[in-house]
Amino acid sequence: MKRFEIYEPAMCCSTGVCGVDVDPVLAQFAADLQWLAEQGVEVLRYNLSQQPQAFAANPAVVKEMEAGIERLPVVTVDGQVVSTGVYPSRDQLRQRLEHGAAAGQRVVAIPVVEAGGCKPGSGCC
Amino acid sequence: MELKLLTTRHLFFTGKGGVGKTSLSCATALALAESGKQVLVVSTDPASNLDEVLEVSLGSTPTAVPSVDGLYALNIDPEAAAREYRERTVAPYRGVLPPAAIQSMEEQFSGACTVEIAAFDQFSALLGDPERTREFDHVIFDTAPTGHTLRLLSLPSAWNDFIGSSANGASCLGPLAGLEQQRALYAATVAKLADAAQTTVVLVARAETAALREAERTAGELAALNIRNQVLAINGVFRASEPGDRVADAMTERMRAALAAMPAALTRLPRFETAFVPGGLTGISALRDFCTPNGARAERTVPVGLPPDLDRLDRLVAALEAAGRGVIMTMGKGGVGKTTVACAIAAALAHRGHRVLLSTTDPAAHVVATIGAPVSGLSVARIDPAAEVEQYRREVLASAGASLDAQGRALLEEDLRSPCTEEIAVFRAFAKTVDVGKDGFVVLDTAPTGHTILLLDAAEAYHREVMRVQGDMPVAVRELLPRLRDPAFTRVIITTLPEATPVHEAERLQADLRRAQIAPYAWVVNQSLLASGTRDPLLAERGKHEFPYIRRVADELAERCVLVPWLPEPPVGVNGLAVLTERAA
Repeated sequence: MKRFEIYEPAMCCSTGVCGVDVDPVLAQFAADLQWLAEQGVEVLRYNLSQQPQAFAANPAVVKEMEAGIERLPVVTVDGQVVSTGVYPSRDQLRQRLEHGAAAGQRVVAIPVVEAGGCKPGSGCC
Repeated sequence: MELKLLTTRHLFFTGKGGVGKTSLSCATALALAESGKQVLVVSTDPASNLDEVLEVSLGSTPTAVPSVDGLYALNIDPEAAAREYRERTVAPYRGVLPPAAIQSMEEQFSGACTVEIAAFDQFSALLGDPERTREFDHVIFDTAPTGHTLRLLSLPSAWNDFIGSSANGASCLGPLAGLEQQRALYAATVAKLADAAQTTVVLVARAETAALREAERTAGELAALNIRNQVLAINGVFRASEPGDRVADAMTERMRAALAAMPAALTRLPRFETAFVPGGLTGISALRDFCTPNGARAERTVPVGLPPDLDRLDRLVAALEAAGRGVIMTMGKGGVGKTTVACAIAAALAHRGHRVLLSTTDPAAHVVATIGAPVSGLSVARIDPAAEVEQYRREVLASAGASLDAQGRALLEEDLRSPCTEEIAVFRAFAKTVDVGKDGFVVLDTAPTGHTILLLDAAEAYHREVMRVQGDMPVAVRELLPRLRDPAFTRVIITTLPEATPVHEAERLQADLRRAQIAPYAWVVNQSLLASGTRDPLLAERGKHEFPYIRRVADELAERCVLVPWLPEPPVGVNGLAVLTERAA
C-alpha cells in the first residue's frame, strides 16, 4: 500500500481557520486527502506544532526545513519527497497515486517575492 | 459566615470583579478551617491577589497558611501554566529541528487559546482527580471575573461535546490535541460541577442593580450548564446607623431599593448577607474580625481634607477634546465604574459638538443602560462576541466553504467550532471600531482586567499572525497594534477605586500595558467616599482608609489623576452623567 505523508507548518488546525483569514486551499486539501485515503492509500498528516517528533525522525524533512521553513508543507510518497512549499492539487495527488514518486517533476511552490527580496539559501532562487 | 449554606466539598465563588469573591472565599475557608476542617483555597484568576489577602507567598501546589491550622492555598496562574506547557512541548526539539521551526512552534503556543487550555487543564486536574486533593475536606475556588469564570466553567461541557461529536478526530483542538487522552478527567470535572451533593456555586454580588443583574445572568448561564446548586451572597450591605447624612442615607436607600428590586430568578436562591466593613479585608486578623463581627467599631470620625492637587473629570475631557479625534479606552477591573466613566466622557465630548462612537467589549454590556436617552452626535455600538462569531462563521462558510465538497465543508464547519474562532472574530470587530477613531472620537469601554490582558496579548499574537499569513488583510486590522501604541491616537484611562485590591490590580494592568508599549494617559479614581463629603461614621472611616490609595495613584502611578466622588444620585442617564463632567470633584 502506498504511503503519503504530509509535513505541515505549525497551525492550530487543519483547515487553517484559526488564522486570521481562511485559506481555501487548506480546506480543499483536507477534502482531497480524504479522497486519497478512500483510494486505499495510507495518508499521514503531521503538524509541526503537534507532531514535531515526526519531523525530527525524518532527515529528508529536516534538511528541507534547514533550507527554509517556507519549504513546508513537504509531501512524501513512500518516504520520497515529491513536493515542497505547496499543497498539491487533487490532480497532482492522483498523478502520484497512479505513477508513484518517480513519476514527473517534483512540485515546488512558485516563490513569493517578499519586500526584502529573496534570501540566499532560502531556496526561492 | 453562613456555613450552613456552604456544606459541599467544592465551593465556587463567582461574580463581577470587585464584589469581594476573594474576601468571601477566604473568610469562608478561614471559618471552615477554624471549625476543624482541612481546607484548600484555589485562585484561577490571572490577576490573583490571594497572596495579599492571606499574607503568604503562594505557588501552584498547596501552601500552608501560617497561623491558621488546616488552611492551605494555591494559585493557578494560567499564563505561567501555558508557558510551562509550551516549554514541555517544544524543549525536546531544540537542536533537533532548525531554529525557524522552533520559533514557529513557540508562536503557535503563545496565543490566548493555549492560556485558556492550560488553565482548564490545571483546573480539571484538581477537580477531576480525587488523588490531588484527597487530604482536604473542602476545596474552595476563588474564581476570576465573571466573563472569565463563565468561560472556564462552560469549557468542560463545551469541549466534551466537541470531542464527543468530532467525526474526523478533533482536528481543531489545536494544542489541546495532546490532552485528548484526558477525556475521562474532563468528564469527571463536568460531572462534579453539576453534582449538587459535591458542588455549590456562590454567586457573589453587591446590593447594586448592575451587580445583581450580572448575578442573575450568571445564575441562568450556570443553570443552562446544569449547574443548579447555587447560593446568593450579598456582600457589604450598608445601613446607616442614624439618618441625616445625605451620602449615607442615599447609599442605604440605593442598596435597599436594589435588593427590593432583585431579579426574580435570584429571589428563589438561598441567600446570605455580609455587613459593610470600613477597612479592607486584607490579612488573617481582618478576615477573622469579618467572620465574627463585634459590632463596636462605629466611632465619630473627623473628616479629613481632600488632596488639593487632583484633577477633575471636566478638565480631563477638555484635554482629550484638544486632539480632535482618536481612541479613548477606559480600562480597569469590572465593578470600578469604567463603563460610567466611558459613558460620561463620550456624552461630554458629544455635547461639545464632536462625533463620538461609544463601543463596548464588556460581556455585560451595561453601556446602553447607562446612557439612557439618545445624545446628538453620539452613537453606541456593542461588540458582542456571540454575534461576531456567528458573522465570522457565515463569512467563512460563504467564501471558503463555497468551493468545497460536502466533506470539506463538514471539516471546515467543525474547525469553526474551535475556541480560537471567538478570539479572531472579536478582534476583527475591535479593529474595525478602532479604525473609526481616525475620523472622530471612539470611546471603548473594555472588558475586565484579566480578560483585557488576554485580549491585548491575543492582539499581539494576532498581529504577528497577520504578518505571517498572506492574503487580503483589511487595513484596519494591519494597523491595529501600532495605533493602540500611538499616544497621539490612543488614550488609555485606567479606572480604579480608592481601595487596596482595585489599586493593586490597576497597577498590574498599567505594568502589563507598558510591557505591550502602551502608556496610560490618565487615571480616574472613582466613587470616592473621601470626596463625597459624608459625615457618617462608617463611611467617613472608609473615606479615611482611601487616603493612602489616592496618594499612591496621584504620586507614584499616574501621569494625571482624576478623583470622582461617590454621588448620592446614581450617575446614570444623560443628566446623571453630566453631573460627573460638569461638577468639580
